[in-house]
Amino acid sequence: MNAFLATAWNGFREARRNRVTVVVGVFALITLALATLVTQVTVVTFRRVMVDTGLGLMSLILVFLSIFLSSGLLAREIERRTIFLVVTKPISRSMFLWARYAGNLLTLLVLQVVMTAIFAAEMALYRFPLGPAVWASLGMLAVELFVVTAIGFLCSSFLGQTVSAVVTVGLYFAGHLSGDLYRFATKAGGFMSTLGHAVYFALPNLDRLNYRPLATYDVVPGWDIALKSAGYGLAYGIGLLVVASVIFERRDFK
Amino acid sequence: MTSTEPLIRLESVSKEYRLGFWLHRRVHALRDLTMDVRRGEVFGLLGPNGAGKSTTIKILMNLVRATRGTATLFGQAPSNREMRRRLGFVPENPAPYEYLTGREFLSLAASLAEVPRREIRSRVDEVLAAVNMERAGNLRIRRYSKGMIQRIAIGQALVHRPELLVLDEPTSGLDPLGRKLVRDLILSERRRGTTILFSSHIISDVEAVCERVAVLVGGKLVRSGGVAELLTNQVPVAEVVVEGLTAEVVRSLGTAVQQVEALDGRLRVRVADDQVDQFIGAVMARGGRIRQLQPERFSLEDMFLSALQEAGPRGTVGGEISE
Repeated sequence: MNAFLATAWNGFREARRNRVTVVVGVFALITLALATLVTQVTVVTFRRVMVDTGLGLMSLILVFLSIFLSSGLLAREIERRTIFLVVTKPISRSMFLWARYAGNLLTLLVLQVVMTAIFAAEMALYRFPLGPAVWASLGMLAVELFVVTAIGFLCSSFLGQTVSAVVTVGLYFAGHLSGDLYRFATKAGGFMSTLGHAVYFALPNLDRLNYRPLATYDVVPGWDIALKSAGYGLAYGIGLLVVASVIFERRDFK
Repeated sequence: MTSTEPLIRLESVSKEYRLGFWLHRRVHALRDLTMDVRRGEVFGLLGPNGAGKSTTIKILMNLVRATRGTATLFGQAPSNREMRRRLGFVPENPAPYEYLTGREFLSLAASLAEVPRREIRSRVDEVLAAVNMERAGNLRIRRYSKGMIQRIAIGQALVHRPELLVLDEPTSGLDPLGRKLVRDLILSERRRGTTILFSSHIISDVEAVCERVAVLVGGKLVRSGGVAELLTNQVPVAEVVVEGLTAEVVRSLGTAVQQVEALDGRLRVRVADDQVDQFIGAVMARGGRIRQLQPERFSLEDMFLSALQEAGPRGTVGGEISE
């Protein structure tokens, strides 16, 4: 457990000392703080615009960071050979992968908490409390980061840094369009329908984790639906990590 | 596992890498390697670049899997996690996390090796002193020179006081001072009773610290045994400096002249030791003079070069490639 925590903490420390993370983090906080400016161009829907802009910015920046931090991580460790000094210690490769994943997730969650605090302060300034719809959306964003980071780790477990980043970005967009794929597959017949459904079930349904439109219109989702969505995201992410662990355990580090 | 059993054992270990888009090209990095390393000894793996030394070590360190054969350390498979508590490893061109300071990296290594938390600080201080890095311990590794990185990498391998130390080319690229420090560290670990497997293509380093060696060429074992034993098995040679004869005359003397080299009006001749008397007699009979006679000491380098020559073209390239 000590080795797991040490590796996870090291991952967090790496992200913290990475200039890109720091620059993106500072940029995000400034942008979020300046989001109040959008209220200048709106007449009566202050709350709606602020929630939409704030959550949208948080999502965009955190997903970008998630892809940046996760998609090349394992490949980079192998290419730079830093992994040689770690996996030859009494730590299994799977434990290393899960610990690095935990470190990445911790970085993203810390950033999300800080961004949420700024966002909440901003909303409080205009006397708009964060309602349950916004909290549900923020929770689901954390689940989405869980899934996107897992996709990055899976790709990184067997692909090079660049290809892994491209595939992760592709899967992120495909994940947001997979609902449409399901609708097309349902309308199509025969083989295309089977293929479409198979691809739909293989892809992550990230739209299912997008509660921002509901938060914008202050619609509180049913807890049963929210829990099912979160459960789906967590199960999907864990599934990807299990596959990544199996691949990572078996591969050669030349 | 009893104390007399080898600490490391490789039995008919082979490794093939598959290359190309369709993975149809095979590189035979290692072929049927059988060797063992005994408890408490310093064992050297010698070979030119691409001989299979690093592949052997990577198999032992569970970084790559053997295609065939079995490898064990402490009687366990390389993948055994518990066993890895007892070994320290320094890879070729080590790459510690450069965003950490030397001290932080050693602390991380100690945590990964399951050193009790209360002991980590004292162990790190101890290791920093052993590798002569106390002053640079709080500096980020990004700012380290190659020699400093090598020292901190050796430090991470020692921080949990391993019973077995595996070093892949630990002196490669270091200046003479750095090489001496590494050699001294190896010798001090040997005094502590640590078993050491040490790969290098710098023969003088191997000769200085190893008791037994294995020579790999083109993925195959071509020599193995104690350093002294390997050297006494060589045919001794004497160097004779001759004056008053031409090189052609010396070559035609009828004795087993191995090499003739012109040297400022003299000839330096290498002759098999058992034919020296006959050679001197022949030189005198033709009116030549003997100015110097010196038996040549065989070094591990001579043995290594002769092993390379015997291996032929395989000796100068990496693993054999087949379609």
